[in-house]
Amino acid sequence: MTAAAHTHQPVKQSRFMRRALPYILSLPALLMCIGILIPFFTAVYYSLLRYRMNLPAMKGFIWFDNYLNFFTDPKFWNTVYISLVYAALTVGLELALGLGIALLLQRPSRFNNVVSILLLLPLMTAPALAALMWKLMTHPDFGILSYLLTLVGITDFKWASDPKTALLTVLLVDMWVYTPFIMILLLAGLRSLPKAPFEAAALDGVPRSFVFFRITLPMLMPYIITATLFRLLDSIQQFDIIYAMTQGGPGDKLLVFQVQAYLDFFQSTNVGRSAALMIILWAITYALSNVFIKQWLKLRERAHGAA
Amino acid sequence: MSQLALKSLSKSYGAFKVFDGLNLDAGSGEIVVIFGGSGTGKTILLRLIAGVEEPTAGTIELDGHDVSDIAPEHRNVGMAFQNFALFPHMSAAENIATPLKAQGKSADAVRAGIDRVAKLLKIDHVLGHAPRELSNGQKQRTALARALAAEPRILLLDDPLRNVDAKLRFEMRLELPRLLRQSGATVLYVTQDYKEAMALADRIAVLADGKFVQVATPEDIYLKPATLGVARLFGDPAINTAKTVIEMKNGMASAKVGGRDIPLPASLAAAAGRGITFGVRPEAVNILSPGSDGLTASVVAVTPLNERTVLLLQSPDGWEFLASLPASSTSIPEPETDVVVDFDPSGTHFFDSQSDERLHG
Amino acid sequence: MDHTSTFEKALRGVLITLVLIFFLFPILWIFLMSFQTNETILRIPPSLVFTPIFDNYWALVTGELRTAAGSLQLDFMKNLWNSVLLSVCSVALSLLFGVPAAYAFARFKFRLGEDIAFTLLSFRFAPPLLVLLPLSLYFKSLGLTNTYVGLIWVYQLICLPLILWIVRGYFEDISPDIEYAYRISGNSWWKTFLKISLPLARPGIAAAGLLAFIFAWNNFVFALILASADKQPVTVGALAFVTASGIQYGQIAAAIILSITPTLLLALYAQRYLVEGLSMGAVKG
Repeated sequence: MTAAAHTHQPVKQSRFMRRALPYILSLPALLMCIGILIPFFTAVYYSLLRYRMNLPAMKGFIWFDNYLNFFTDPKFWNTVYISLVYAALTVGLELALGLGIALLLQRPSRFNNVVSILLLLPLMTAPALAALMWKLMTHPDFGILSYLLTLVGITDFKWASDPKTALLTVLLVDMWVYTPFIMILLLAGLRSLPKAPFEAAALDGVPRSFVFFRITLPMLMPYIITATLFRLLDSIQQFDIIYAMTQGGPGDKLLVFQVQAYLDFFQSTNVGRSAALMIILWAITYALSNVFIKQWLKLRERAHGAA
Repeated sequence: MSQLALKSLSKSYGAFKVFDGLNLDAGSGEIVVIFGGSGTGKTILLRLIAGVEEPTAGTIELDGHDVSDIAPEHRNVGMAFQNFALFPHMSAAENIATPLKAQGKSADAVRAGIDRVAKLLKIDHVLGHAPRELSNGQKQRTALARALAAEPRILLLDDPLRNVDAKLRFEMRLELPRLLRQSGATVLYVTQDYKEAMALADRIAVLADGKFVQVATPEDIYLKPATLGVARLFGDPAINTAKTVIEMKNGMASAKVGGRDIPLPASLAAAAGRGITFGVRPEAVNILSPGSDGLTASVVAVTPLNERTVLLLQSPDGWEFLASLPASSTSIPEPETDVVVDFDPSGTHFFDSQSDERLHG
Repeated sequence: MDHTSTFEKALRGVLITLVLIFFLFPILWIFLMSFQTNETILRIPPSLVFTPIFDNYWALVTGELRTAAGSLQLDFMKNLWNSVLLSVCSVALSLLFGVPAAYAFARFKFRLGEDIAFTLLSFRFAPPLLVLLPLSLYFKSLGLTNTYVGLIWVYQLICLPLILWIVRGYFEDISPDIEYAYRISGNSWWKTFLKISLPLARPGIAAAGLLAFIFAWNNFVFALILASADKQPVTVGALAFVTASGIQYGQIAAAIILSITPTLLLALYAQRYLVEGLSMGAVKG
């Protein structure tokens, strides 16, 4: 037997190497983790300080004063209010629109597939650039949208420069960029639903609204929840679109969390305040994402267990 | 010197103990069947021997050497998996070539090796195909070919016929012993099918409750089962059982079965009052001519089963048991008639009702 | 089953058309604008018919913008190059680090792995500025501000969690028996990883890499805070473009088109990978 030679010179492999392998493989990821945690804890530290870069002499520990001051700070509550309104409106509208489009395209046809791919394009655009595009389109002098409005008799619509319509404008941009994301998710969900219940309903002559509300929607819930959480988490920390559009203005109309923190840091050089603001935002997103991640991991385990 | 030796092999996953203190010696060229139900750890045992998992305790010796520190790629073992585990992105030929290439053989030697095993397993005509283009039978043959290609000294086969259709399984059951003998390897063959085990094995190791309950030749397993469990696992229809108690009459031990006294063999250590389980294999139930001295039972049902006919009988005291007659028997009783039966000692066993161990002299 | 009336079909057609218009029109409009002179752009009513000019693109390529007030030097091509460099290098590095780690998380159940995975995953949803603002101060003291190295390292924050999230699932889908079979055949762990695990997970790695590239390319806030003019990618660069005075609007449009074309083309070319990556990342399970 030619194989005999092998067993007579066995190669010893230390058991240590075998055990250490997973740690070696994930070492860079671990370094990344540390690289994130260091600035994170620094931010926590800063949030406990009175620290303005233009007044270095005043730097000192004030413990939770930054946070407590927020409670009585109308600027803070404005930030909370705007951020929540923005998040609620974007997610709500995008969910409705995304679901509607997904329902329109649910049958797997060549045409529907081409349309859904085309609809992906806004999602692939950098949000900052999308804001730029819409800025050009809403330009008072030559913007096509401004022009179209004059055709229906609305002149002098200031879009993003007007405190009354600024939110609407950025809302539009957000919807333009992110609705396709929800659409894709829900479309994948719709296409993966089992056919049997629908065939049975058709045979029984069940009215379509009933089918939608009592069969489709409940089965689609996991996807809807996933999409909602994803978008909620991203929307409440929106920066790119708003900053690119108006840098936070007009006035204080669009000062959502991250925009406010940016201005605090770079304009007011108030490190302490911006850090505290970010910690509060982090706490909100951490709580939300925890729910989501646990749910997601559980779903995956169930799928792998069933497999 | 044994080719493969397991010494006090144990494996646990956390608190869950799969098996504990397994011992086995397989000689060169021997085919040992590991037999057991699902979840008994047979596949895990093979993985330990192959080296892709580590034992919790105990040692594995291949050719007399402790292989605990030797990586799987150096153990010179061939393995065929239940789900074939063919490399989907390689053709059948490339799959089979893998162990040969790993040994650094020249292209010609690799080609020759592939052709040799492909011819042996009759898959030379599908060598160029991708695994997804092969039938299950062809996939299994390819998996076997891959395991055999480098002429390993130890062959581990994990229920290779499980996912193959019945007809092909039957054919391969006839081919495999020849193939395995030809390879000269020491084979550890895992299966849940007792007929397969009996057909292929030089020895059978019955794995149950984390231990080897019995390691013996197929003959001994069948005729001298170590426990009631082993007796139940081997035989179709399964062995008939009845719980009863030993009685002493005139210094002779007997037990009441079906209302009739069955004498215990004199060699058995018997104590009155000891609870036992009586067992008799259906083929050992003899239908006697009417009026003979035996147990009278009524025929409840008659079921033809290929080359045998199975009768469901009921004794006067309500004990139901099966008799298995060759289908070619001249007189097969009708249902709702009475017959007289007795039990052939070679198919009769007594088991302790507590430990389920077979009582023997 | 198909008893939709003609009215319904017509309605569906109308709705889909409206949807397509809403989502595709802006891109089309800016695209047209990029071939127009300022005169054409400012004309009211806007005209769909015009003679296209390539001056805007030419100006961007040469870096010289001729405006009403004279000539301006603007290096948009540098921004484009920065985007390419940053995105490609970040993705390459994150694949190098992330794929083996994803394999470790998929195959080995070890506590540290679960902790790392959870941390990285949870930071995917954390506000970037939380980390970026302190980081900007660290960078200053470490001299990493406005360096490619610093930026590529920070971009890992975007790319690495994505790679781990998506690729791990693909590795888990490969039956371990296949890897065992290759190892038992006589191959080392490393060879098995290269010849079996990687090829079989290739669709997932491609999808993850693609998504990571797009996210890196589209990123705005990281470069805004940690880079200065000469290292900024197109997202920041285009914005700076606009605020510079006297710029022709056609040139802004051209800059936008140049900036979004790579990701749009990639998306169209590899859309199956994209859809799989997006939905896999979100809903696999």
